[in-house]
Amino acid sequence: MVINVAPKSTKPKDFKDDFWKSKDIKISIGEIAHDEAKGGEEDVKMGPTPKPNVTDLRSWDMKLIDRYEPFYAPFCDMCCLCTYGKCDLTEGKKGACGINIEAQQARMVLLACCIGAAAHSAHARHLLEYLIEKKGEDFPIDMGNNVDIEAPIIRTVVGIIPKTLGDLREAMDYMEEQNLHLLSSCHTGQEGSNLDFESKALHAGLMDNLGKEIGDIAQIVALNMPKGDADAPLVELGIGTIDRDKPVVLCIGHNVASGAGVIDYVEDQGIEDDVEVCGICCAAIDITRYNQHAKVVGPISKQLKFIRSGVADVIVVDEQCIRTDVLEEAKKNQAKVIATTDKMCLGLTDMTDEESDKIVSQLINNQIEGALILDPDKVGEVATKVAMQIAADRDMLKLLPDMDEIQKVAHECTECGWCTRVCPNGIPMMEAVVAAGEGDFTKMEELYDNDICYTCGRCEQECEREIPIMSIMAKIGENKLKEQKFNIRAGRGPIQDVEIRRVGAPIVLGDLPGVVAFVGCTNYPEGAEDVAKMAEEFLERNYIVVTSGCGAMTIGEYRDEEGKTLYERFSGDFDAKGLVNVGSCVSNAHIPGACIKIANIFAKKPLEGNFEEIADYILNRVGACGVAWGAYSQKAAAIATGINRWGIPVVLGPHGTKYRRLYLGRTDKEEKWQLNDIRSGDVVSGEPAPEHLLYAAENREEATVAIAKLCIRPNDTSKGRQLKLTHYIDLHRKYFGTIPEDVYKFIRVEKDIPITYKKDIKSILEEKGWEPRALPQEPSIRDFPDDSKAEIQGK
Amino acid sequence: MDIIGIDLGDLMNERVIPWQPTVIAGPKQALLVTPETAKMMLKKAKRPLFVVGPLAKEEPILTLTKEIAEHWDLPVVTTGDAYKIFKDAGLDSKQNGIVEIVNLLKDPEWKGVKGEGQHDLVMFIGCIYYIASQGLSTLKHFAPHLKTLTICKFFHSNADASFPNMKDEEWLKYLEKMKTD
Ligand code: SF4
Ligand code: SF4
Ligand code: SF4
Repeated sequence: MVINVAPKSTKPKDFKDDFWKSKDIKISIGEIAHDEAKGGEEDVKMGPTPKPNVTDLRSWDMKLIDRYEPFYAPFCDMCCLCTYGKCDLTEGKKGACGINIEAQQARMVLLACCIGAAAHSAHARHLLEYLIEKKGEDFPIDMGNNVDIEAPIIRTVVGIIPKTLGDLREAMDYMEEQNLHLLSSCHTGQEGSNLDFESKALHAGLMDNLGKEIGDIAQIVALNMPKGDADAPLVELGIGTIDRDKPVVLCIGHNVASGAGVIDYVEDQGIEDDVEVCGICCAAIDITRYNQHAKVVGPISKQLKFIRSGVADVIVVDEQCIRTDVLEEAKKNQAKVIATTDKMCLGLTDMTDEESDKIVSQLINNQIEGALILDPDKVGEVATKVAMQIAADRDMLKLLPDMDEIQKVAHECTECGWCTRVCPNGIPMMEAVVAAGEGDFTKMEELYDNDICYTCGRCEQECEREIPIMSIMAKIGENKLKEQKFNIRAGRGPIQDVEIRRVGAPIVLGDLPGVVAFVGCTNYPEGAEDVAKMAEEFLERNYIVVTSGCGAMTIGEYRDEEGKTLYERFSGDFDAKGLVNVGSCVSNAHIPGACIKIANIFAKKPLEGNFEEIADYILNRVGACGVAWGAYSQKAAAIATGINRWGIPVVLGPHGTKYRRLYLGRTDKEEKWQLNDIRSGDVVSGEPAPEHLLYAAENREEATVAIAKLCIRPNDTSKGRQLKLTHYIDLHRKYFGTIPEDVYKFIRVEKDIPITYKKDIKSILEEKGWEPRALPQEPSIRDFPDDSKAEIQGK
Repeated sequence: MDIIGIDLGDLMNERVIPWQPTVIAGPKQALLVTPETAKMMLKKAKRPLFVVGPLAKEEPILTLTKEIAEHWDLPVVTTGDAYKIFKDAGLDSKQNGIVEIVNLLKDPEWKGVKGEGQHDLVMFIGCIYYIASQGLSTLKHFAPHLKTLTICKFFHSNADASFPNMKDEEWLKYLEKMKTD
């Protein structure tokens, strides 16, 4: 019995009130059909856990982490969170507060997840209130005729069916309260068990998923972004697509409000052809969802390169993943910076209440070094006017050192090697500098291409000869402008219900080998091609590939031998061989959203307040796998942990181990893989599927094989299992040269054996003394007859 | 060696500052070892294991690695995608992700790659520096039953024992020495 001491101040929603509210708004035919199918909203049955508190889903978490035990890789041996410390936690030593190294790692993960969830959700809250102010709280949530289940996460977790922007506040309030409790448990002398810290981190991850869904729904409906359009337009991408002869406004960050303000102003003035509006990071994705004339410079890895190039006249920053030294960098070429949110004020004077023209003149005359403007409409006006007035004078500043000069400075290199040592990826920058000093720029170009160097700037500041390595990179980019022209399919938002109806069965039965989602930052260990190549591999193999944010951009930066991008080669359908860009970071919510919808639309599982049953369904039946390949922020910790709680495995790149915690399964422990067949009531032995919940691979080849394996699910039919194993074996042979020796673990009956590999597999089966076993009809890890696993014992 | 204006102590430090300096984790640092000490460790070990990563795929490291494994008759685990090229070169190994093998190594009950019992010494070469550093940290904290030794050209402060930071030429000499008793 769990004693719940956290205050339960939020009650499940009274649906009657909500029902009457919904009568006031115009509803589409689709909605009526949906409501009828459900027997009217009054009949919505509330599951056991609407608005779960911190401890309400703890038994589910304990089941997950019993099978997928936390694997800790301490990034630091000490704790310095309070003034009793620093405390040394090596060799079994505990901190002055009594915490041990495992709990400390789990606490840091929880902290990261709380930060990540807060970043997404504060962004969502800001957008929501801004859009309510603009459109009114009764503005309807209408996702178009093809999306009835508009908010699968909100429905499942919060237990409400939001009908208006105002309704989203209830979900937001709940999320914010939970995050507060979670953050509090990171305080000295609170939680002491690493497993409970994990359970809280999983809760924080879920809150992150919820916050993202609120944010994306609000912006989709209020800003009329694409609503699940598979054929959303292709938009221009790449440094080379920006017209340098025009005034350029660059938006960096994640919050669309200020970028939309710029677009609106430019359109109102009818000067679309005279100004370039472009973006870096998710702000870019979202302004192109708002207006397809905007351009995408590229992912986060382009940030310093592009700022140094001096092309941007005005840099509008909003929130998250922006270089915090943007003001200092902008000053180097007299670009003007406008900060636009409370998250990042950069020490600038708040000019929100000043007249636009006064701010413009102060910026132009260098009376202020930048401005904080918290009103997106005013941002639009000021940014555009400033850009138009200073662009001509800044022409000279857009010139980078010429190649002779570069050779001369590079020649100063002492070959101390520190640039390479401080590089997060150990990139051979020294060799490139030395070669440049001898007039050979090819090595520099190699590092520039595909963002192998992601211009973090660490090498430059370490250089004892102060060689301006980042400016050299920017110059190299200038020489290659013509090549830097690509495209990306504008973010489409949710997956349509009709698509789920079409692919739900093939996914659950295994006839469609899997859904692979590439999300997160692009600071990849081996450059941008890593992810594009993985995406290509799975697309060619009939998987559904979903992507978002910076990952979606790098996929667009890759061309095949015929010069086509993957967006040109593959459709945007959520179907086999579909390459689906859902949108920005907050749009990631649509990925678990699609899995939830499969449980609801295909399997008729009720959603409201029914988290555990849905997550159990996804874990055992929906062959989906997330991939976050780059070095990434706290948001990724939250995204991945939330995705994990839904039962979806995630593969990280090698930097992922620095999150300090993975969730790894042990295939040698057969008892961990038992399944409860709900239909027959029997406990049956299962396969390690998915084998891990959170895995870090050392390189692309390893990751590719791991992804294919992680799409296997206990529910696969024999036909589906054959198909999935064929891909797993094919890829294993391609990258490791052999048939994987663990293949026998995934063969339940002879019919599971892929025909192409029959002979080889049969001999493996014989060698391993394999015996056939029963296929569960409804595999689950819940409610075992003898449910000792459900007890929360800790360890 | 004529080292004008440079303190010899600094030069020594240079060899034992973690190759990526920011992986420094706390008070417990690796012991700097020479090939001689490394070989002593191998001789003393009852059940050593050799973990070989994808950075060892290129010559001459590939051949040296293979010869070291053969000389000491070490069971080998390959990580990343190192398996194939070593198999083609005639060195059989068990393929594992680096996090998978580290996860097994930290369990005192695990029976080792040969099923004969948990290993007591794990020697690493060729794993990507920062993921290796994290794996070594796991073993430093959670595997008191074994020792870790790294023979890359990078100083790994999270190992129990590590070669220093070296230039290629010196490193190759070190590896040559590892091929003999
Ligand atoms: S929180 Fe605990 S372990 Fe950390 S510094 Fe304070 S007393 Fe030490
Ligand atoms: S800028 Fe960063 S990624 Fe590029 S070489 Fe320098 S340290 Fe490495
Ligand atoms: S840090 Fe500077 S001087 Fe040292 S190797 Fe790199 S470029 Fe040359």
